[in-house]
Amino acid sequence: MAHFQVSLVHWLSHAAPTIAEFMRSKWGWPMAESIHFLGLSMLVGCVGLFDLRLLGMAKQVPIPALHKLIPWGLLGFAINITSGSLFLLTEPDQYIYNPSFQFKVLFIMIAGLNALLFYVTSWGRVNADGTINAPRAGKVAAVISLSMWISVIVCGRLLTFYRPGGCPKEGPGLIADCNPQMKPEF
Amino acid sequence: MTFLAWLESTAISEWVRGSPSLFAFPGILSAHTVGMGMAAGINAAIALRILGVAPGVPIAEMKRFLPAMWFGFWLNFFSGIGLLLGYPTKALTNPDFYLKLGLIAGGVWLVGRIRNRLHEFPKGLAVWSLVCWGGAITAGRLLAYTYRHLMAGH
Repeated sequence: MAHFQVSLVHWLSHAAPTIAEFMRSKWGWPMAESIHFLGLSMLVGCVGLFDLRLLGMAKQVPIPALHKLIPWGLLGFAINITSGSLFLLTEPDQYIYNPSFQFKVLFIMIAGLNALLFYVTSWGRVNADGTINAPRAGKVAAVISLSMWISVIVCGRLLTFYRPGGCPKEGPGLIADCNPQMKPEF
Repeated sequence: MTFLAWLESTAISEWVRGSPSLFAFPGILSAHTVGMGMAAGINAAIALRILGVAPGVPIAEMKRFLPAMWFGFWLNFFSGIGLLLGYPTKALTNPDFYLKLGLIAGGVWLVGRIRNRLHEFPKGLAVWSLVCWGGAITAGRLLAYTYRHLMAGH
């Protein structure tokens, strides 16, 4: 895994030199960050609102009608995958070896899997006309969704506090949370 | 500047800035970002509904989500004070900080206006709400890149 991470960092750092150059210009990074935060708000605003409805807030709002907001949440997600890739392409070692980033990716995957399971198991019942109270499975999915997206935000903010340093003498573990190409830390 | 230097020397300011605890600066910053998503995001969702998204949602019922929006807002009010206590000079000497506060004040004023006129589908106010909250996010993000003085005491 650590070996895979090293090759991934190597590949990312050579993948898009023009983008990296733009990102290192005066306003490149700040602009991408601002867009990342706007996308974040669209994502948690729309998806979070739907989760709150599943949990019983604003029962006067029909669930299928409110679901039409979800594509806008997905647009926010797409904006953030795109803007997030810009950071990754510019400073790959700051992310790939960063435990906060590793957890962020894990939580995004859990959120995605949770959404998939929600559509497979409960969407039929939730989407039926006149459903006021979401079934228990829908509520569980909403709690998982809210906690995962909040965790994703927190991990994103904590990235800078977990900048990877050099690995210990015995080398990185199964998943490298230190930069194997830096001088070892004693 | 003496006031700012004094503020920076208080125990709470030093704790926010220097404590190794995750609940100090990193935690306050994280809370500020979660609250931002809730406040700006829910206001954006309400604006989108006014602008014609999700037409099956009875427009007047959108205000039932406002308590969650206010939760995010107050979370950010208090976490924002925490961040300000940590680095008062950094924010207060930066014109961008006052732009951010102005945009938030505009956004908050619009919440009340929109709430009372939801049934009229106030599309113009909805666009202004998106501008204010989107602008506040951008101005806030750029605070990290536009400050002139980090600390008064150094």
